[in-house]
Amino acid sequence: MDDIDAMFSDMLQEMDLLTQSLGEEAESAPLPKPPTIPGPQEMNFSVGFTDFNASLHDLEDNDLDALMADLVADISATEEKFATEKDTLKGSAPVAPIPSQPPSNLSFPGSSSTLRQATSSNSIAATPPPPTSKPSKEELEEQIKADKIKLALEKLKEAKVKKLVVKVEIMDGSSKTLMVDERQTVRDVIDNLFEKTHCDCNVDWSVCETNPDLQTERGFEDHENLVEPLSTWTRDTENKVLFHEKKDKYEVFRNPQNFYMWKKDKKSLKDMKEKDKEQLLEENFCGASVIVPDLEGILYLKEDGKKSWKQRYFLLRASGLYYSPKGKTKASRDLVCLVQFDNVNVYYCKEYRIKYKAPTDHCFILKHSQIQKESQYIRYLCCDDEWTMTLWVTGIRIAKYGKQLYDNYKAAVRKAAGSATWASRSIQASSSASTPSPTPKARAANGHAPQPAVETKGSSNQTSFPPPPASMETLPPPPPDPMLPPPPPAPPSTNKVNQFPPPPQFPQSSFPPPPMDDLPPPPPPPPEDSELPPDFLPPPPPIFSSCGGEALPPPPPDPIASLPPPPALQNFASAGGAPPPPPPPPPPPAPAPAASKPAGSVRKVAPPPPKRTTPQLAAPSVG
Amino acid sequence: MAAWDLSVSVEELGPDAPPLKISVTSDLHIGGVILKVVEKSQIKQDWSDHALWWEQKQQWLLKPSWTLDKCGIHADARLCLTPQHKPLRLLLPSGVTLRLRACFSSPVFRCVTGLCKLLNIRRPEELSLLWPVEEKKKKKDKDVEEELYDITRAPLPSSIIPKLANGMPAFFAETPETEAVYKMLAVSQPAPAPETIAKLYRSTNITEKAHINSRWLDSSRSLLQQGVKENDKLLLRFKYYTFHDISPQADAVRLTQLYEQARWAILLEEIECTEEEMMVFAALQYHIGKVSLTEQFVASCPAMDDLDSALQCLEVKMEGESSADDMLVSSMIYTQPKRLTLKGYKQYWFTFKDTTISYFKSKEESCKEPIQQMNLKGCEVAPDVSVAGQKFCIRLLIPGPEGMNEVYLRCEHEQQYSRWMAACRLASKGKTLADSSFSSEVQSIQSFLAMQKTTPSTNAAQTDESINTHSLVSPRYQKKYKPKQLTPRILEAYQNVAQLSLTDAIQKFLQIWQALPDFGLSYIVVRFKGCRKDEVLGIANNRLIRIDLSVGDVVKTWRYNTMRQWNVNWDIKQVAIEFDGNVNIAFSCVTADCKIVHEYIGGYIFMSTRSREQSNTLNEELFHKLTGGHEAL
Repeated sequence: MDDIDAMFSDMLQEMDLLTQSLGEEAESAPLPKPPTIPGPQEMNFSVGFTDFNASLHDLEDNDLDALMADLVADISATEEKFATEKDTLKGSAPVAPIPSQPPSNLSFPGSSSTLRQATSSNSIAATPPPPTSKPSKEELEEQIKADKIKLALEKLKEAKVKKLVVKVEIMDGSSKTLMVDERQTVRDVIDNLFEKTHCDCNVDWSVCETNPDLQTERGFEDHENLVEPLSTWTRDTENKVLFHEKKDKYEVFRNPQNFYMWKKDKKSLKDMKEKDKEQLLEENFCGASVIVPDLEGILYLKEDGKKSWKQRYFLLRASGLYYSPKGKTKASRDLVCLVQFDNVNVYYCKEYRIKYKAPTDHCFILKHSQIQKESQYIRYLCCDDEWTMTLWVTGIRIAKYGKQLYDNYKAAVRKAAGSATWASRSIQASSSASTPSPTPKARAANGHAPQPAVETKGSSNQTSFPPPPASMETLPPPPPDPMLPPPPPAPPSTNKVNQFPPPPQFPQSSFPPPPMDDLPPPPPPPPEDSELPPDFLPPPPPIFSSCGGEALPPPPPDPIASLPPPPALQNFASAGGAPPPPPPPPPPPAPAPAASKPAGSVRKVAPPPPKRTTPQLAAPSVG
Repeated sequence: MAAWDLSVSVEELGPDAPPLKISVTSDLHIGGVILKVVEKSQIKQDWSDHALWWEQKQQWLLKPSWTLDKCGIHADARLCLTPQHKPLRLLLPSGVTLRLRACFSSPVFRCVTGLCKLLNIRRPEELSLLWPVEEKKKKKDKDVEEELYDITRAPLPSSIIPKLANGMPAFFAETPETEAVYKMLAVSQPAPAPETIAKLYRSTNITEKAHINSRWLDSSRSLLQQGVKENDKLLLRFKYYTFHDISPQADAVRLTQLYEQARWAILLEEIECTEEEMMVFAALQYHIGKVSLTEQFVASCPAMDDLDSALQCLEVKMEGESSADDMLVSSMIYTQPKRLTLKGYKQYWFTFKDTTISYFKSKEESCKEPIQQMNLKGCEVAPDVSVAGQKFCIRLLIPGPEGMNEVYLRCEHEQQYSRWMAACRLASKGKTLADSSFSSEVQSIQSFLAMQKTTPSTNAAQTDESINTHSLVSPRYQKKYKPKQLTPRILEAYQNVAQLSLTDAIQKFLQIWQALPDFGLSYIVVRFKGCRKDEVLGIANNRLIRIDLSVGDVVKTWRYNTMRQWNVNWDIKQVAIEFDGNVNIAFSCVTADCKIVHEYIGGYIFMSTRSREQSNTLNEELFHKLTGGHEAL
C-alpha cells in the first residue's frame, strides 16, 4: 500500500510539471487552454472518510488500479494534447502522431502490459478512418486537423471529469468503497455494487443518502448522477451513502392500483389482474403527459419556525403540492401552493416525534438537496400512518420525475432478469467447480476501468479466480472461443478455451457468450489473430476515445491487476450514457446487450394493446 | 300500373315557385324521379350533387335504385330536390369562422370527416359539431359584423387524400387569399382582448358545464335531419379527449386548433386550474404568441430573417463589448435582507463567471480574493422590479447547507438588470453565460420590462410586445391582479419555457392541460335510479365518475375495463350499465339526451380500439355500431 501512495504522489507531481510546461507552450497556440487537471485534493474527493488517505487505503486493489489508470490517462492526455498542439502549430502532419502501434498488437496476448494495449486501442479508434474516396490534400489535412482538435477537446473534457471515492454502507454493516465519476448514473453505481456484493440483484436495491442531522433518508433515483448531490455535502458531514433494498422504490409499478385507486378498498384491489395493472400503467405513464395519482387528504404541516404542527387538507397535482386554506373549498382556484417540485427533493424522516414533536413518526420533508441542516426553507409534513406516507412520497416522485421513473423501472427489471439468468447459470457452473468463484469481487471494476489486467498468462499470476476444473470445458452454453468473432453461437469449443466459469452474479446479461469474447486468450494465440481486431474491437463510440493515453508506459500494476474486464465493460455499454473513463478494449457499442437478448422474454411490463371488455356491440336495445 | 302526380319542389326555381308536378308510377325508382324533375325544370346545370329530401319524414332518399313503392312514397308526399352540400358557417376552436360547404345528407360523423379532410385535420373521429350557445338578443343589437372567411369554392372532399402543395392542401395553395386562410388555421391566433374574454366568460359551475354537452349533434344522423339549415352556424370542437398519434409535422392545423381549444377552456375556466398553473399557461401563451409571429416571418421571408439575426448578433456583440464574452462585471448594490436596514445595502464590485457570482470591495481589488463567492446552480431567481420607480432588483435564494441564503442585487439601470438577470437565470439551471440562449434570455427580459411601462416609451415597443397580460389569464385573475402585478409572476413562469420552440411550447401547453385533474371530463346531469336528487356523471376516456352536485366531490369511479355491457332504454330514456362483480347502475339524463351519453361511452370505447390497428383507415362501421343506438340497427 505504501508503494501505491508513493507512486500516487509521484504521479501528481509529474502531472503538475507537465501541465506547467504545457501551459507555457500553449500560450501561442490557437487551441483552447490546456487541460487543468483537477488536483484531487482540491475538491471534495472522498465521501465517508476522515481524510483522503484513508479513503485511498480503503479502496480495493482494483479500485486503486483504476485510479492509477485514470491518472495515467490524465497525464498521457496532457502529453498527447501537447503533442497535438505542437503538431497543429507546425502545420499538421498527415498522420496522427499517436497511434504508433499497429492494430494487430491488440490481440497480442503476450504484450507485457495490457494497459498499454488498452490505451493504444483507444487512440487507434480515435484516429480518423482512412477516407475511402480520395479527397484533395487540403481536405485531408483539414480533416485530420479537425479530428485532432476534436480529440484534444475530448481529452480536455475527460481531464475535467470529477471523481469521488465513496464509501457505501451495506445492510449487514460492512461497507464497500468505490470510485464514482460524475458521468455515472446511480444505475451504473448499483450495477457496480451488484458485482461487489453478493446480493440478489432485484429491482429494489437502492443507493440512499442519510443525513443524521435531519434524520432523513432518500433513495437516489436510478437516472440521477451520484457525484453531483454528494459534492454538495459539507466537508465535516456525517451523511452516509447506503446500499439496501427499498420496497417502495418501484412498488407503484408492481401494484399501480394501490396508488392510482387508493380510495378503493385495498382488499378489492389485492388480486387485480396483471392485464389490468398494465393498462393502468399504460394510461398513467404512457400518454402525452404522466398522470399523477389524485392524492388528497389531511396531513400535518409543521408551521414555519414554530414547534406546532397544523392539520391541513392537502392535494397533489402535477404542478406541485397544494393545500386548501381554512374556510375555502377544494376548488383548484382556491388552493394554495405549498411547494413546487422543480428544485426540491422528497426525503423520508425518522423519529420526528421526538425530534420535532410530530404527531406521528411517519414524516417526510421537502427541501433543496443542498440544505443539510434544519432550516425554515424545509417543509415538514407528517402523515397518520406509514402507507399514507408512502403514497404521498411516491406521488411526489411521480410528479417530479414523470416518465423517467417508469423508464428506470423497466431498465431495472431488464437488468434484474438478466442477472437472475446469470445467477442460475452460475449455480450450475459452481456446482461443478470446486470452489465458489470470487470473480465478482475481482472483476469489480467499480464502474471504472476494467483494469488493465495483465492478462492471465497461465495461472502463475495472482489471478483471483480459481483454476478451472477440467469439467468446465463442457459447461453448457460455453463461452465462445474468445478469439472468434462474437455474435454467433459458440463454435465447438476447442481445448483449454473455456477456462472461465461465468461469474455468479452478473447484473444484466442473460447472454453469456458475447461479453466473454475477450477473455484471457489461450496461451498459444490462434494463428488468425491478426485479422481479428476489427471484429472484436469495434470502433468505440467517440466518447470512449477520450481517455486513452499512450506514450507513457504506465507503472506496471502487475502485482494487483488480475481481473478480466470484459463483462464489466459490457455492463457499461448497456448502461448507456455513462461510459467509464479509461477504457480497455472498448466494448461493443451500446445497444449490443439489448439487441443480443430478446427483450420480450424478460420484460414483465410489455404493454399489450389495451383490451377493453367491449360491451356487447348490439347492446342498445329498444325497450 | 296507375300513374299519379308527385309534387317536387326545386330550390333553383326560387322559394316562391310552386312545386313541380310530375307524373309517376309506383315502380319508378328514385333516379328516374330526379331525371324527370330535372327535365321539367328546364334548368341546365350540374345536378350531380342533388338528392331528394322528404320533408314530412325528415329523411333523405339517397338510394337511386329504390322504387317509390319501396320507399313508401305516395301522392301526399312532398319532396324537395336540393343539393347535398350546402354552405355552413363553421366556428373553429381558434374563434375563426369559416364559410364552407358541408355535407347535409350523410351522418354527422362522415360530414365531420369531410370537413377535417378539407381543413387538413387528421383523426376526424375525435371531433364533432355542436350548436352554438343561443346568444341573448341584446336590446342594442349592435349587429357586429363578424369576420368570415369564405372557402365555399373548395372542391368537395373526395375519398382521396388531398394533395399537398407548399405544405398545405392543394386548394389552399391556389390563391394568396386562401393561403392566408390556411395560415390562419395553422397558426395560433393573437391573444384576445381582455374584454373579449370577459364577454365570453360565464359562471362555470358544474351544471353550466353540463349544459355545454347537451348541444352536440347526433353523429349518426345528417345535418338536415337535425334541423341545421343552410348558412347556419355550428362549432367544430374536439369532443373525445384522447388524441391519437399526434405528429407535429403532419398535424399543424390539428395541433393549433387543439391548443386553441385548450387555451380557451383555460381562459374561460371551463377547466379549473390553480394560480400557479394559470401563470404557466399565461407564460406559454405569451411565448407561443411571440414565436408564432416570428416563425411566420421565417416562412415568408428567410433572407430577411438572416439579416435580422445577423443584426441581432452584432447588437449583442456591441452590447457586450464592455465585458468579456463569458463574463459579466459591474458595480452593484448588494444586501442580505437579514440585516435589513437601509444601511444593509452596500456597493460592491461584482463579477459573474460560469455559474458563480463573486464580489469585491472595489474594482481595483477584483484581482484579489473575493469577499464571497456564490454558486447559483439550483438557486431561485425572482425579479423585484418597478420600471416606473426605476428599481431593478434581483432576488436570489441560494441553497446552502444551512438553508437558503437570501440575497438582493440592485442594478442601476434596465440594461444592466436584464443582462445580470439573464445570467442568474441561466446559472440557476446550471448553464453559463457562454450558453447560446443568453442573448435571447436578455431580450425576453427586456421585452417583459417593456410590458411594464405604462406610458408608451420612446423606443416604440413592437406590436408583439405590447400585449396586455390580462389577455393571458382568466377574468378571475384579471380582477385579482393589476397587469403590473401579473407581469412579474408570468415572467417567473416564463423563464422555464422561454427557450422552447413553437411546437414544443404548444405541446407543453397541451401536456400541462392534460395533467390537470379535471382534464377530459365531460359532464352530464343525471338522476340515478332510486335517487331523488340530480347528480353529475363525468365521462372520461377511461372511466365514468359520479359527482355530488352540491359539493362537487367525486362519489364513485367506474372504469370501462370493468364494464360488461351497457344498454339504453330509448323509451324511458334510461342508460343501464353493468360492471364486473355484479355492479349495476342505471340513470336517466337530465341535461342531455341519453343518445349523447350513449355516444360518449361508445365513442371512447371506439377510440380505445384505435391503438391496436395502426392503419389509418377509419372503421366507420364500428363507430356507428358503438354509438348509433337504435337507428343503427
